[in-house]
Amino acid sequence: MNEEADEKLMKQFQEGDSQALSILYERYKSRILNFCLRILGNRSDAEDVTGNVFLAFFSGKYQPRLDARFSTWLFTVARNRCFDILRSRKGDISAEVIALADHRPVPSAGLEHKERAMRIREAIGQLPDEQREAMILRSYHGFSYAQIADVLHCSVDKVKVLLFRAREQLRGEMNSFLKEDQ
Amino acid sequence: MMNERDKQLISSYVDGECTVQECERVESLILGDREYQAYYQELMKLSTVMEEWEDADVSPDLDRKLRASLAEQQQKGLMMKKEYRKYITGIGAGTLLIAVIVGVFTFHQYGKRGIQGRFTVASDDIGEQFRSGDAGLKVAVEKGLVAATSKTEQRQDVQLAKVELDSVGDGRDSTNTGRDRNVVIDEEKKSMPPEGVTQAVSGEVDKLALLNNNATRFKADASVNVPATQFVLKDSMQVSSAPSNGAIGGFQRSSYEPSMMPFEEREIAPPGVVFPNSGQTQDGNTEEYNLIKENAFLEVVQNAVSTFSIDVDTGSYSNVRRYLNAGQLPPVDAVRLEEMINYFSYAYPQPENGKAFSITLDAAGCPWNEAHQLVRVGIKGKSLEAETLPPSNLVFLIDVSGSMNNANKLPLLKKSLAMMLDQMTERERIAIVVYAGAAGKVLDSTPASSKMEILNAINNLNAGGSTAGGAGIQLAYEIARQNFIKDGNNRVILATDGDFNVGVSSTSEMTRLIEEKRKDGIFLTVLGFGTGNTKDGRMEQIANTGNGNYYYIDTLNEAKKVLVSELGSTLFTIAKDVKIQVEFNPGKVKAYRLLGYENRMLAKEDFNNDAKDAGELGAGHTVTALYEIVPADSEEEFATVDKLKYQQTEVIPSPEMLTVKIRYKNPDADVSQLVSRTLEPTQVTENPLGDFQWATAVAEFGMVLRQSEFKGTGSYDHVLGEAQASLGKDAFGYRAEFIDMVKQAKQLDVRPANPGQIQFK
Repeated sequence: MNEEADEKLMKQFQEGDSQALSILYERYKSRILNFCLRILGNRSDAEDVTGNVFLAFFSGKYQPRLDARFSTWLFTVARNRCFDILRSRKGDISAEVIALADHRPVPSAGLEHKERAMRIREAIGQLPDEQREAMILRSYHGFSYAQIADVLHCSVDKVKVLLFRAREQLRGEMNSFLKEDQ
Repeated sequence: MMNERDKQLISSYVDGECTVQECERVESLILGDREYQAYYQELMKLSTVMEEWEDADVSPDLDRKLRASLAEQQQKGLMMKKEYRKYITGIGAGTLLIAVIVGVFTFHQYGKRGIQGRFTVASDDIGEQFRSGDAGLKVAVEKGLVAATSKTEQRQDVQLAKVELDSVGDGRDSTNTGRDRNVVIDEEKKSMPPEGVTQAVSGEVDKLALLNNNATRFKADASVNVPATQFVLKDSMQVSSAPSNGAIGGFQRSSYEPSMMPFEEREIAPPGVVFPNSGQTQDGNTEEYNLIKENAFLEVVQNAVSTFSIDVDTGSYSNVRRYLNAGQLPPVDAVRLEEMINYFSYAYPQPENGKAFSITLDAAGCPWNEAHQLVRVGIKGKSLEAETLPPSNLVFLIDVSGSMNNANKLPLLKKSLAMMLDQMTERERIAIVVYAGAAGKVLDSTPASSKMEILNAINNLNAGGSTAGGAGIQLAYEIARQNFIKDGNNRVILATDGDFNVGVSSTSEMTRLIEEKRKDGIFLTVLGFGTGNTKDGRMEQIANTGNGNYYYIDTLNEAKKVLVSELGSTLFTIAKDVKIQVEFNPGKVKAYRLLGYENRMLAKEDFNNDAKDAGELGAGHTVTALYEIVPADSEEEFATVDKLKYQQTEVIPSPEMLTVKIRYKNPDADVSQLVSRTLEPTQVTENPLGDFQWATAVAEFGMVLRQSEFKGTGSYDHVLGEAQASLGKDAFGYRAEFIDMVKQAKQLDVRPANPGQIQFK
């Protein structure tokens, strides 16, 4: 993914090149959806947020800062929307449990693969919000620590700690899978 | 035994986010230690496993909807384009106009100044450069110092290493000074060699040999288990690797030079120096302490009253002890003076005539500043005999999240609870709620006489999962409410390391929740456990909000103090919302400073406001507050504001120095009562004696640990002298232990004596 081109496209769009917007949408729709899916653990919420993010973006309601990377900015918008949903869920444990159940994979490949995939989803779902966000941005979107810090509005050092804590917890949860074939 | 910081470094390393030096450290760890090697491999494997959560596609419906909206916007966009151009033209023209005006003006001024002016400007410029260079230097030095004082952890590394080296050198073990009370807890710590020591002790030759031994083995392991990364080990100890895919990252550095070990620099450099590359980044410790800004001297003329809430917590003292026992100085913000002072019981008289508490008020010369005096306000809560104790309804809310799975957390808690249970009778009811990934009831409210049943429940507790603190608190309060005993002691006892991380997670949300529950007449006790992840400030704040108290339990002995010998004061509140207000007489006192209680200060209006929450006093509790005062005849100057122009305050002649007023509520009351006492200069003795002297020694120790700007002539040696003189009977050995702590701190403290007083030339 050529990030520099993103900013260029954004500029072209601001100068009236509507084609640029289509390219940006195609480039990011799946990334934003998967980010939301992993944060929220629930398909319908994730689709809602993705829809809202792009609608707001298209309508010009939110403008990316010129000094920020386009991807960082778009993920920040998505992140804030996800947070609204998580916040409204707070205290309502059952919603989260259902959300996770809703996302169990369809049995396909080998049994072990299936179980492992399911367990990692659950384990990621159990991470504290910020750790989960940092871990997802890092592992599935290849964000640098500095970019993650931008999205989470925190310091790079905190990102380090978040990722470390997340790994510690995931390592604990996934213990049997990480050790057994060594 | 791996340490957290290095594990965190490995985590950053996996992401390819290490500095050169960090990479070198990690590589040496991975090559040199099987445990770290396995840890690294697990993290790599984890990255692979995570990839099994595959990407999903945007549903056709959503895609269609968004494309439609996009097309619509593109239509509008064409319209906007023209307007946009108009704006751009407008703004461009405006900017040009301003530029022209500024240009003309500047040219005009320049011309007016002539050749002379230009020279002046030039020489000013040169001067400015010098000045700014100088200032830059100064700023850098200041920054260095600030960093040096704030990065306590780092300095501790240096100190730790130094002490360990000393102890190796003269053959004694300074981290274990033979205190058998720590046996249970410190087993783990002892088996863990302090970091950096191995490197420091063993020479470079040994290190290379070690690396050589392990390198070959690792080569084999790596090629089998971590296909994403390749190690090519050559005779010259070069490690190179091809970065794997973006999600996993890989080795960034390719050459390994043992002589560049950052830890060796640390050993040599003097303490207090911050190494450019050892920055905050290596710090895997996530203990949190709220910043304490020490109370300063206030001039009586402008601030005649001082108002605060009592605090019977002792968490800070045990926490400081834990640090010192582990061979480190505590971070300054972990030292709360009032909790240090109140850790000890003082022999204040029992309250008379059925009153809730007695008040002791006296004053003496200040041991660390000859020109000052110390005023002591002491409160003792009524002691309750076992048979007169009200019945109890206790709900234990126990954190069984993964982070509690340390010898000094859940296992220690289990032992403590079993001990406490021995003291209890059928008048006490106990319920147990646990929380981790989800909250659940382990034991319904059961009379304490059914010991087997309760012990079984306790023994079956296991740690695992993340922490849903919010849901747990809700459930615990609900059970407490269901089993509510009128006129009894209804209390939730939260045992945790404070790492709430699922559900309600921010401290403010948590305190709001607890504030709500407080109204039901249910009190809260927080027992803090553990190291490395302790959210000390958060736990204290939660306890403060919940009409409660906070204890930090680091050893079985401390558990015995809190849950057995002082169970009465831990569990039975005899007065709540206890506030103290002291009014000073400007005719006798020029300025005053309250020692500690920084996070308990109240506005003067809060004193008479019964809606304002304050601290609780337990049965038999003693609370001590010390004021350092400057007599009215002193020459000292304090920061003041100008005299008021439209008001004049009249000083009413009085022989009194000050008046202490205490407001409190009975445990079930909503309206407060007031008691007051006065102190006269004739009551001031030359030196504090007995318990008073002990309290001043503890306060002085706290200030020296904090490197307080107010510590005056205070020093470890002086503290030792004062403490030994006022040791008293010390039935439980707490005071003797304090003296050990002071000695330990003295040995560990290699900080510059007066950091605040270093002058720049």
